[in-house]
Amino acid sequence: MTGFDRSIGRLLIVVTYIAALLLLVGVLLMLASGISPLSGGPALDVSAITSDLASLQPAGFLWLGLLAVIATPITRVVAAAVAFARAGEPRMVLVAVAILAVIAISITTAALTG
Amino acid sequence: MIAGGLTAGVFGSLLGLGGGVLIVPLLTLVFGLDLREAVGVSLVSVIMTSSVAAGVYLERHVADLRLGMRLELFTAIGALIGGSIAFLIEERLLALLFAGLLLYVAISMLRSRASEETQPETPPGEAPSYEVRNLPLGVVGATGAGVLSALLGVGGGIVKVPLMHLGMGVPLRVSTATSNLMVGITAAASAVIYVIHGEVDPYVAGPTAIGVFLGASIGSRVAHRIDLRILRFLFVAVLLYTAVQMLLKVAS
Repeated sequence: MTGFDRSIGRLLIVVTYIAALLLLVGVLLMLASGISPLSGGPALDVSAITSDLASLQPAGFLWLGLLAVIATPITRVVAAAVAFARAGEPRMVLVAVAILAVIAISITTAALTG
Repeated sequence: MIAGGLTAGVFGSLLGLGGGVLIVPLLTLVFGLDLREAVGVSLVSVIMTSSVAAGVYLERHVADLRLGMRLELFTAIGALIGGSIAFLIEERLLALLFAGLLLYVAISMLRSRASEETQPETPPGEAPSYEVRNLPLGVVGATGAGVLSALLGVGGGIVKVPLMHLGMGVPLRVSTATSNLMVGITAAASAVIYVIHGEVDPYVAGPTAIGVFLGASIGSRVAHRIDLRILRFLFVAVLLYTAVQMLLKVAS
């Protein structure tokens, strides 16, 4: 097997720990402000994340953490695509691009029907 | 809720499951969440545990990145299909499907216990070399696993591991590691659909995901100190009980 498995593996771990940290801060802020998990949280509003972070609102940290979690495997595919391109394996690059295309389609269709 | 996620995480990592089979019933039966909301939250938790596990497996060169990526193209397509039809079919049908899945997992765990006693443990260390065969079968199975994952919020390892191991001639350890790798992208493809449809509540997803994450870290550290046979028996009992509860919910 090739050497880039190691660095891709490390990337996965590091990004997940960052996401976990963000979620942890969010959960601690929830506890601090006495928000019940079943009280119904706000839906995703990308434009609100920055202001929520600045004002220490739990939702900002939670959403950023959740988005980071979802982005982790996607980042891994991008990293693998780059690594395969450098290693001169066009077929694997094609596979990686196809995976990203499927994700893009799933985001677009959900956005259109949601 | 953190404690529940913690339990699911410990159990999941000890038994090589993503934990989705426990998170969904926990959120619906104990916390009274809508099944679709529970699936969305479960998907996020599943991505988290699988990312860390897959990272470790990749570092140790146990996961097959090439095979994993080829198959996950199809699990992602399956997830796209599953994530889209999840919003069209009735919740009771989903619950029925989930109960069926629980029974299937319980039965396959009982059977694997029986076969494990006759087979010697695979020695740790570098993965043995092998030839991947039957790729068309893998493609079909992977698409099915993707649909299942997106509909029910599970990783689908219980389908993919036997598929790769028995159907495609991949060693068990490599199958498990590669399945873990694939779970991330499969769940990510459907998790975005749930997020955009507004079915992921951050106040529920945050505590649950943190619990599962911590639980999985604890589980992987204590795994070698625990008698897995007792644990598996307990787990099968929990699965059967949960399946019955789910069916009762469908009936009412």
